[in-house]
Amino acid sequence: MNLPEPLTLDVCPQLARGEEPFATIMAAADRLAPGQPLRLLVPFRPAPLFNVMAKRGFHAKENRRDDGIWEVLFIPQTPVEPAAAATGAATDAVFWPDPVRQIDLCGLPPPEPMSRVLETISKLEIGEVLFALLDREPLFLFPELAKRGHEWAGNLSEKGDVYRLLVRAGGQE
Amino acid sequence: MPNAELSRWTLSWFAAALFFLAAALVLILFGAGGPGRWSEGSGFAVIHCIALGWLSQMMLGALLQFAPVLAARPLAFSCLALPALLALSTGTATLVAGFQFSGDAAAFLLPGAAGLLGIAFGLSLIMLVPTLAKSASLRSSEPQLILLALGLIIFVWVSGATMALTRSGTSVSLGEKLLTDREPLHIILGLGGWLTLAAFGVSYKLFPMFLVAPEKDGLLRKAGLGVAGLAAGIGAGALVLLAFDYAPPLPLLGLLSALAVILHFAETCRIWRSRRRKIAEVNMRHSLIAHLFLLAGLALLPLAITEGGPFAEATVFILLAGWLSTLTLAQIGKIVAFMTWIEIFAPHIGRSAVPMVGDLSSARTSDFLLWLWSFGAVLGGISHVIQSPSLFRVAAIPLLLAALGLCVELWRIRRLLNLPPQSRPPRLPPVFLPRPNWSKIRESA
Repeated sequence: MNLPEPLTLDVCPQLARGEEPFATIMAAADRLAPGQPLRLLVPFRPAPLFNVMAKRGFHAKENRRDDGIWEVLFIPQTPVEPAAAATGAATDAVFWPDPVRQIDLCGLPPPEPMSRVLETISKLEIGEVLFALLDREPLFLFPELAKRGHEWAGNLSEKGDVYRLLVRAGGQE
Repeated sequence: MPNAELSRWTLSWFAAALFFLAAALVLILFGAGGPGRWSEGSGFAVIHCIALGWLSQMMLGALLQFAPVLAARPLAFSCLALPALLALSTGTATLVAGFQFSGDAAAFLLPGAAGLLGIAFGLSLIMLVPTLAKSASLRSSEPQLILLALGLIIFVWVSGATMALTRSGTSVSLGEKLLTDREPLHIILGLGGWLTLAAFGVSYKLFPMFLVAPEKDGLLRKAGLGVAGLAAGIGAGALVLLAFDYAPPLPLLGLLSALAVILHFAETCRIWRSRRRKIAEVNMRHSLIAHLFLLAGLALLPLAITEGGPFAEATVFILLAGWLSTLTLAQIGKIVAFMTWIEIFAPHIGRSAVPMVGDLSSARTSDFLLWLWSFGAVLGGISHVIQSPSLFRVAAIPLLLAALGLCVELWRIRRLLNLPPQSRPPRLPPVFLPRPNWSKIRESA
């Protein structure tokens, strides 16, 4: 199957200015035509972004160029709804080890659940997994997890009253 | 995976909104507006300072932060936040000046204001509608309510702009009809439509969060949304009917609006009863008081429609100062404290001791100031029923003191002055402007 020409997005200048490129990347992903890949140029290997894009239905092909720039091609696996919310675990979360810690954070007022997840995950070894139950999707937690190099996957229960979150400890920045 | 960023310009929107609130109250103290005087130029100036400069600016600024949380996606075209803010602030200031000065000045100030406000609303819609209007987020009632409210902004602007043009000497047919006897339609669309529906939508997300109640988009909320949608459609349709010389069905609109308010109140009571946090915080206690003002406004509505005059003025004042302003002032402290905590302390969680969000603000001070505000709002409402301009000026004193006191409290939150000195980082972000290179996160390699 021939793929449409990829949309190229170079976030190196934005990062050089000290600006956060995440919103730009998500906006670019939203602009893609059905089946169109996204070609991202970035000065480092954007590991957590692979997870983010996997959940939006993209798989990644990465290549480090001679000039040190990482060229990542995100290819849509199937035509996906651009606004796909966080339903279903990350594609690779099924391969994660069993959680070493389980915490129930339901009933805690925000941002207490966020604090508790970050405090707990900071005590785990790299690769260990934390499982948390929350009242709602912890949207402000995700940027902080990404910043610290952790991976996560989560979804709402069938009834929609509990958010189940898996966090795999990564390198601390 | 969706996530939420802190909106760079939301605090600037809040600061501009608070400036207009203080300006409106100072104008009132100096004799502008009041019972029987709202149709004068200075009265229009005050009303628009409150409805546009204070409440609309506050709501749109909050939505820049809130819509991405609601839709679990980044804000679309976020670079428009500053131009939209500048257009709305200067547009409101120009409109206020246009109402304040008559004659030649108004002839160019009022059309200029209409243009600037059109740009401001247009830019705001470009950011907010694509953010919210995605099928995944449209499954729940809150984004739908806010989209409905945002849709009504267009009709509020059309009705307002045609009246502004007509007042400035450029006769527009619809503006003439509205100015002759249908001005309430503009108020209904703005106050009852845009601002109230947006407040409903935001509260369905904020209230369960702050009360630690289950988020349930049940039948009651959906019924409320349906009725509100019908009322909004009739309200917007009424403007179109008026343009073609048909009488708008205002009694039906009033009935549906009342039903929508009752359903909203029932839904709010349901959230309150299902809360896990048994002792509600200051922001939620005063949000409940704001809802009592809403019910008071609803109770006055039949008299406002049949008797008009004092009761219509009292209803509008109670809805503006009691319902919408109390709700906004009650929540702003909590929202600013939350944003400040995320901005300053989130990176330190798990690495060093961080304070609780509640530690950033003084609950006692906020509680006292919000009671003072509500006292002023009650006094102001009574002054309209008994048509006492002097009592209205007296009511403006507690209102102004409360507003200024809450501004000081917000400044203390941003400067972390409610925390012990040793808990404050050496460098703090600007009070209401974005920090240069403010968010250098998610560098994930």
